[in-house]
This record gives sequence, structure tokens and C-alpha cells, in this order.
Amino acid sequence: MNFKFNRKKVSGTLIVVPANEKSFVEEMKNYNFPEARSLKLKEVMGYNKRRMVAGDVCVSDLAVFGLEKLFERKLLSREEIDALLVVTQTGDYLMPPTSNIVQGRLGLKRDMLCLDINQACAGFVLGLIQAFMLLEQESVHKVVLINADILSRKASAQDRNIYPLIGDAAAISVIERGDADQPIYANVKMDGSQFAALVIPAGGLRLPCSAETARLEDVGDGNRRSKDHLFMDGSTIFNFVQTEVPPLINELLATAGASADSIDYFACHQPNRFMLQKLADKMKIPHARMPNNVVENFGNTSGATIPMALALNFADQIRQKPLRLCLAGFGAGLTWAAMLLNLGPLQFCEMIDYP
Amino acid sequence: MNEFLTKLAETIEVPEIKEADQLKAFPQWDSLAVLSVIAMLDASYGINLRAADLNAVNSAGELFQLVESKKRV
Repeated sequence: MNFKFNRKKVSGTLIVVPANEKSFVEEMKNYNFPEARSLKLKEVMGYNKRRMVAGDVCVSDLAVFGLEKLFERKLLSREEIDALLVVTQTGDYLMPPTSNIVQGRLGLKRDMLCLDINQACAGFVLGLIQAFMLLEQESVHKVVLINADILSRKASAQDRNIYPLIGDAAAISVIERGDADQPIYANVKMDGSQFAALVIPAGGLRLPCSAETARLEDVGDGNRRSKDHLFMDGSTIFNFVQTEVPPLINELLATAGASADSIDYFACHQPNRFMLQKLADKMKIPHARMPNNVVENFGNTSGATIPMALALNFADQIRQKPLRLCLAGFGAGLTWAAMLLNLGPLQFCEMIDYP
Repeated sequence: MNEFLTKLAETIEVPEIKEADQLKAFPQWDSLAVLSVIAMLDASYGINLRAADLNAVNSAGELFQLVESKKRV
């Protein structure tokens, strides 16, 4: 599905990562797997260091911490936030929305809109689309988009399939009206029939948490996880990305009448280095134009990986001048979404540690 | 066939693979190897196999036949 927006812009992004750093090499002994193969996995997938919360930290904790920093540094004021979007799969509660909790904790105005969006790896693009739509309203001047997940608390430490790649983070982006004439294009696809490829089976009403769902089970390849844990069918997701993402981006570029050569960078969601390198190869894009270094430094942080790729690779450039970017996110749902836009100059683009 | 077997051996990082070799008998044959082979078949032959398709195959020769049959479709 195509979307087109005029006169909208991202004015800054701040990423909050837990200070607690984990190392793949130190954790290899948790897996029932020969060390040589684990080292091979590290080399191919780009597993190295990542950030995970220590203790019972929640999404609203990371969000409140980051927003308070923006208020302190006068990059944003409480009163000017007209809408607060929280894109997460790991909200503080099943009910109410985490966005309302953040609003209450920060004492934001009551004359505003808070909205949670249940999306993950495609969540930055979907959040931007929602923010742009809200900005069509006369009463909305500034939208705060928070992409945050704490999936480490839902991953089994004995599941080599998922645990070594998960990182926690919150990306806080500010979106407002812009004056640039260049339209922003987006393309979104959904396939709920394949939802089981990325799922946390227990915890909703379909399968409430119980002693039974908490029981660790041998799931093959020496891995153990329970139904309370995040499950990813890695090879199905790999096939899905290789098959569906290139046509999604090609369709977007065709709609916009843009060539791949006119794009400075392809800032994609980063599940692991292997998948992004194969995606770049398939699209015949040089690896240097599709950054893939978030996972080796911070882990796969769900909807926050795209802003993190920008902060990690282009922070200085993008504060000075706009970059022409193609964004693409893909994952849970299944959902895949891409956006073509000029991003920058950003007022702020950086990462800070949550102590 | 020989070119295919060479590529397969490079992908799962063993010195040599023969037509009759059982893929699951290689100590290197794990989920990472399966993913690497899926990626190689996509890049070299334009074929998208699923892990389940690959795990249903026994010998390297059978995999070659499967790839040939998909190429013709």
C-alpha cells in the first residue's frame, strides 16, 4: 500500500541504550553447541556486544529517561508535545497503553493524544506514517515517536536461536511540519497468515501465562525455551526478507520515480549482519550503502535499529545536511514497510546510556 | 554437478562433498549451515528453498536433483 506525504520532517532522534553490556563470547558456554560453531556464528551473524537492561527495567523507564534529557537540554519542551506514539511489543502492562504511562510520569499536558502501536521491526516506518498523518491536523504541531522494546526479558538465555542477537533500546524521535517541497513516499505490506514465524506464544488471552507455559523445553539443536519466550523461525524470516523486501523497495522507488543510485543510504532494520549483507547483494547495492553494524555493537533492538544506524554511522553528517534515505523495516506481523525521504539536518542525533 | 558440489562444500566449509555423502553426517551441518546453503542457492541459482525442504533431503546428490527440478519450473 502506497502513502505520500508533503511538508513533514524528522527534526531529531535520541537513542537510549542500557549501560549494561553483554558479550557473546562470554555467553557461549550457556549454549549446548561446539565452541568452533559458536565462533563461526559470531563471525557470520556479527554477534559481539549488545546492550540489555539489568533487572526489571520497563519501556516507560527508558522513554522517560530520554525525554527528560531532551527537556533538560531544551531540545524539546513538555508543552509542545501534541501527540506521543509508543511503538512496542513489550509494554509495561497489557492495559493501559504505555504512552499514557509515559505522559503521566512526565506530567505532560492533558490536551494531547497518546497512542500505542503494537509493531516491532517495521515500527519506525509505521510510526513515522502515523506521525505524518497526525500532523495533517491543525492542532498537531509536534509528535514524539518512541520505538522501544525490552525483548531481552522475553528471550530464553538457553536459546542460541534468539538470545545472542537481542538488544534493548528506546529511540525517541521528534516529527513536525517541514517546508521542503520534496514529497515523502512510503510502501507498506502485511501478511498476518504468517504471524507464527515471530511470536511470543504465551501471555495474551489466547494462551495465558502459567506454570506450564514457563516450563523450559528442549526445542532441538540443543536449545531450550518456554512458551513465555520469544520464538523466531529464523529460516522462514530469512526467506521472507530475501523474497519480499527487494520488490517492496523497487515498488517504492518506481512510485517515487527515483533510481537506486540517487539514494545516499539504505537504512534498513538490522536483524543480523548476514541477512543485511544478503539483502544488499540481492539488490545489487554495495554493502557500504546499507549499514549493518548495529547488531555487533548493540544487538537487534527491534524498531529502534534504523535510528540507531543513523546515530552510529551518520550523526555528524546528518546534523549538517539532509541525507536522501530509503528506510526499510521488516518483521513481526509479518509486516514490511519502506520509506523514501530526505532526512536532516537533524537538531540532535545521538545515543545515551541508561544507567 | 561438480560445480554444484564444489559450491556446496565451500558454503558449509568442508574440503570436499561427494554425490552420495549424507549432508546430516557432516559435523558442520547445523542451522547456520542450512541458512548459508539457502542463501547460496538463492544467490547462485535464484532458488528460494525453505529449511524444511533442505532438511527433507538426505544426500548431496538429492539436493542437486531438487535444485535442478526447481530451476526448470
